Amino acid sequence: MISNAISLLIAIPLLGAVLSFYAGTKAKFVALIASLIPLALSLQMYLEFDKTSKIMQFVESYNWVPSLGVKYTVGIDGIGFPLVLLSTIVSVLVIIYSWGETKKPNQYFALLLLNEVGVLGVFTSLDFFLFYIFWEIVLIPMFFLIGSWGGPRKDYAAVKFFIYTHVASLVMLLAIFALYFTYQMPDGSRTFDMLTLLAATADKTIFPTSMLNIIFASLLLGFLVKMPAFPFHTWLPDAHVEAPTAGSVVLAALLLKMGGYGLFRVILPMLPHVDKAFVTIIAIIAVISIVYGAFMALAQKDIKKLVAYSSVSHMGFVTLGAVAFTWMSVTGAMFQQFSHGIITCVLFMSAGTIQHVVGTRVIADLGGLADRMPKFAVIMMAGFMASLGLPGMSGFVAEFMVLTGSFATLPVYTMIVVFLSVVTTAAYHLWAMQKAMFGPILKKYMNVHEPHAYELFSMAMIIVLSLIFGLQPGLITDIMGTAATQVMEPVMTLTQMGVI
Amino acid sequence: MEFSHYAPLWGEALLTILAVLVVLLGSLMKNSGKLMGYLSAAGLVAALALVASNLTIKPTLFFFDTISVDALSQFFKVVFLVVSLLVVIASMSKYTGKGADEYFALLLFATVGMMVVSSSVDIITLFVGFELASLSTYALAAFDRSKKNLEAAMKYFIFGSVASAFMLFGFSLLYGMAGSTHLVDIAAASLANFGPATLVALLFVIVGFGFKMALVPFHMWAPDTYEGAPPLVSALLAAGSKKMGFVAAFRVILIALVALRMEWYMAFAILAAVTMTLGNLAACWQNNVRRILAYSSIAQAGYIAIAFVVVGAAYGAAPVNVLNMGPIRADQLGIAGALLLILGHALMKTGAFIGTALVASNVSKESETDPDDISNYAGLAKRAPITAFCMLIFMFALAGIPPTAGYIGKFVLFSSAIYSGLVWLAVLAILNSALSLVYYLRIISYMYLKEAAGPKIKEQKGYVVALILTLLAVVWIGVFPEAFINWAMQAAAVLLPQ
Repeated sequence: MISNAISLLIAIPLLGAVLSFYAGTKAKFVALIASLIPLALSLQMYLEFDKTSKIMQFVESYNWVPSLGVKYTVGIDGIGFPLVLLSTIVSVLVIIYSWGETKKPNQYFALLLLNEVGVLGVFTSLDFFLFYIFWEIVLIPMFFLIGSWGGPRKDYAAVKFFIYTHVASLVMLLAIFALYFTYQMPDGSRTFDMLTLLAATADKTIFPTSMLNIIFASLLLGFLVKMPAFPFHTWLPDAHVEAPTAGSVVLAALLLKMGGYGLFRVILPMLPHVDKAFVTIIAIIAVISIVYGAFMALAQKDIKKLVAYSSVSHMGFVTLGAVAFTWMSVTGAMFQQFSHGIITCVLFMSAGTIQHVVGTRVIADLGGLADRMPKFAVIMMAGFMASLGLPGMSGFVAEFMVLTGSFATLPVYTMIVVFLSVVTTAAYHLWAMQKAMFGPILKKYMNVHEPHAYELFSMAMIIVLSLIFGLQPGLITDIMGTAATQVMEPVMTLTQMGVI
Repeated sequence: MEFSHYAPLWGEALLTILAVLVVLLGSLMKNSGKLMGYLSAAGLVAALALVASNLTIKPTLFFFDTISVDALSQFFKVVFLVVSLLVVIASMSKYTGKGADEYFALLLFATVGMMVVSSSVDIITLFVGFELASLSTYALAAFDRSKKNLEAAMKYFIFGSVASAFMLFGFSLLYGMAGSTHLVDIAAASLANFGPATLVALLFVIVGFGFKMALVPFHMWAPDTYEGAPPLVSALLAAGSKKMGFVAAFRVILIALVALRMEWYMAFAILAAVTMTLGNLAACWQNNVRRILAYSSIAQAGYIAIAFVVVGAAYGAAPVNVLNMGPIRADQLGIAGALLLILGHALMKTGAFIGTALVASNVSKESETDPDDISNYAGLAKRAPITAFCMLIFMFALAGIPPTAGYIGKFVLFSSAIYSGLVWLAVLAILNSALSLVYYLRIISYMYLKEAAGPKIKEQKGYVVALILTLLAVVWIGVFPEAFINWAMQAAAVLLPQ
C-alpha cells in the first residue's frame, strides 16, 4: 500500500513541469519520466484498488484554511479512478507522440504535464474548493497550448476557449457557494466537502426544491459546457481546429471528461431531488448532441473538425446514459467516457499526422494515402472503426451498454438516437476514411512517406488498449459498476421518481 | 514621561528623522543617489520591524488622545511600509543620479503621512497626516518633469485639493456640531443631536474620501494620474495613498458617523455597485496598460466599499456561526474581508505597476509611441521572462484566481455580504470578478501569445528583486491565508463596539 498515493500522483507531474521548463531541449526526457511514474503509480493503485468497495479509497485529508472550512481532501472511487487511469495513460502517449516537437519544447512539455496535474486534481478532489481550483488550473495550460502552438486563428480560439469555459465555471462557482452558504454541519461549521454537501441536498428542509433547482441548473451548465453538449459546444470546434495535435488530444481525451465526471459525481446524486423536468431537458440535450454532432461531422471538409464534431456526438452518449439512470446505462456512460478518451486520441493524432505529413487536412484534397503509408493507414482505419463502434473494440461495448440501458427508461429518445445517428456515424467515418486514405493515389502525394515511429507507436498502443477493453471490458467496468450501484442505491429509479 | 512610553511610535519617528537626514545628506554629498536608496530601504525595514513588534497591540492612545496605536493601525502601517519598501527597492534601479535624495525623502514623508492617518482618531491629526501624504505625492507625481508627468500631477493636485476642501468643510461642520475633534466625541454628539448639519457633513466627508478612494463618480483623476505619473509613483498612489483613503474613511465613517449608518448604507451600496461595474467595463476598452490597471484599481475600490454596506446592514447584529471561526459578527467579517482585499490588492498592484515601470523604462528608448501602450507588451515573455511571469501571476491574482492573495479577501468579503443578506451585491461582485478576467487575459495574451515587439530587454536588478519579493508575498498569502484571516479579524474588531 502506497501512502499519499494521490498526492504523489498530482505532485510528480507538477515537479516534472517545473523541471522540464528548465530542461531546455532535454525537456521531452524529463516529461516522459515525469509522466511514466504516475502511470506506474496508477497501475499499482489499480492492483490495490478494492473493486467491490463503495467507499472512497486512498483518502487523504488535511486542513488547509480551517476558518473557511477549506480542506485538502482527495480520494478515489469507481467514478474517479478509471479517469485517473485514463489521464495517466493518455499523458504518456501524448508526450511520446509529441517527441519531435521543436518549437519551445521546454514550455510545450511543461504545459502538457501541468494539464495532467489539473485533470488528475479534478478527478480526485473531494473538496469543492480544491475541485474548483483544479478545474480552473486546467484552463491555463490549454490556453497557452492553443495560443502559442496553434493554427492561424489561434489567438481568437484561445481567448474564446478561455472566456467560454471560464464563464461556465463561474456559474458553477456560484452554485458551489450556494451549497456552501446554505448548509451548516451539525456543529454549526461550514464545509466544502463534496460528499457531505451532496448528501445534504436530499434534505428538503435545508434545500427546498425551488432553490435546489437553481443550484442544480447552474452546476449542470458548468458541466455541459465542458462536455460540451449542444447548444454550448461552439467553443469546441474552434479550439480543436486551432490547437496543436497534442492540445487537441488532451482537450478531447481528458478535458471533456471533466464535464462527464461532474455529471456522475455531482449531478446524479442531486437528480432525484430536483424538478422532474430536468430529466427530460437533459435527455433532449443528449439526443440533440448525438444526432447533431453526427450530422455536423458528416458535413465537415476538415478532417480535424470532423473528429471534433464526432466528440460532441460521442459525449452525448455519456449524457444520455447518465440521465437514463439505470445501472446498465450509467455503467455504460462511465465506460463511454473511458473508451472515448482513448479512441479519440488516435483520431486526433491521425488528423495531426496527416496535416504535417501531407500539409493539408481538407478531406477533398486527400486521396490514396494508404498507398504510401500503409502502416499508418491500418492504424487509422482501426481507430476509425473503433470510433464508429465496431464490435470487439471498446466503443461498441460502451455505446451498446448505454443504448440497451437507456431503452428501459427512455425508449423514445433511444430510438431516435438509434435511427438517426448509428448510420450517420458509420457514414462520416467511412466516407472520410475512404476519401482520404483509399482510392487511386494523387500524383502530388507520390513522395509522401510513413510518419515517425513514435507517432505510430503511440497510436498503435491506443488501438491495443481499445481492443483489450473491447474484449475484456470487465477490467474496468467492474469498478464502474460498483460506482453506478453506489450512485443509484440511495435514490429511486426514474419510474419511482414519476418521470416515466 | 519616559522615552520608552512612545515605543509604538518609534517607526514614524525613525522615518521622519531619516527623511530629513536624506535631504540633508543629499545636499551635502554628490552622487549619493545609490546611498540614499539603501538608507531609505534600511529605514523602512527597521520601521517595519518596529511596527511588527507591536502587531496586535491593545489600543493605546498618545498625544492627548489624538493618535491611537491598535491592531487596525498596525495592519495598515504594515501595508504602507511594505508598499513603500517595494517601491524603494525598484526605484534604486531608476533614481540613482541627481535628485534621488529628494525622491526618496518625499517617498519617506508620504509614508509617514499615511502612517499618521492610519493611527489618527482625531480629525485634525487625520487631516494633517492626509495632507502630508498628499503633498508629498503631488510632488512625486511630477518628479520626472516630463509633459505627461506635469499634466498628471496637475490633475491629481487639483482634484486632491478639491477633495481636501470637501473633507475639511465636512470636518468643520462635525467640529461645530460636537465641539470636539475627537472621533469618539463626534460619535456621541452625532447620536445625540442628529440633524441636517450632520447629514451635510456626512455628504462632504463621503465626497472627500470618495476622491481619495477613487469611487465612481469621483474617480476621473485616477486613470489620468496613474497613466501620467512616473510608473513607480503610480504604484505608490494605487497601492499606498489610495488605501490611506480607506483607513481614514473606516475611522471617520464607521466610528464617528455610525449614528447615520442608514444614510451612508444606501450611499455606499450604490457607490460600490456602480464603481465595480463601471471600473471593470471601462478597463475592457483601454489600450494603455497603466490605464487598465487604474480602472482595475477603481473596480477593486468598489469591492472594498462593500465593507461599508455590510457594516451598515449588519451593525451590532448578534454573533452567529458563520464560516468556521466560532460565533463571529458579520460586520466584523466584512471589515476583515476588506482589509484582506486591501492587503492583497496593495501587493498585486505594486507588483503590476513595477512591471509596467520596467517595461516603460526600457521601451521608451526604442520608440516614440506611448511606452505603456499594450502593443509594447507583445511577446514580453520572450523579451523579459521574469517580468512577464510575475505579471502573469499578478494578473491572475487580481482576477481572484486561487491560490493567490486575490481570492482570499474576495471570499471573506463576499461571504460577509451574503451573511448580512446582501446576496445581490455578492452576486454582482462575483460576476464583476469574471468580467475583470477579460482585460487581465488581454494583457496576458499580449505578453505570451504575440510575437515579440523587439529584442530582449535588460531587466534591472532593483525591479527584479522587487517583483520577486512581491510575487512571493502574493503566493504566500494565497497558500497560507489562515494567519492573515485571523490578523484581519483582530484589526477589524477595533472599529466595532465590543
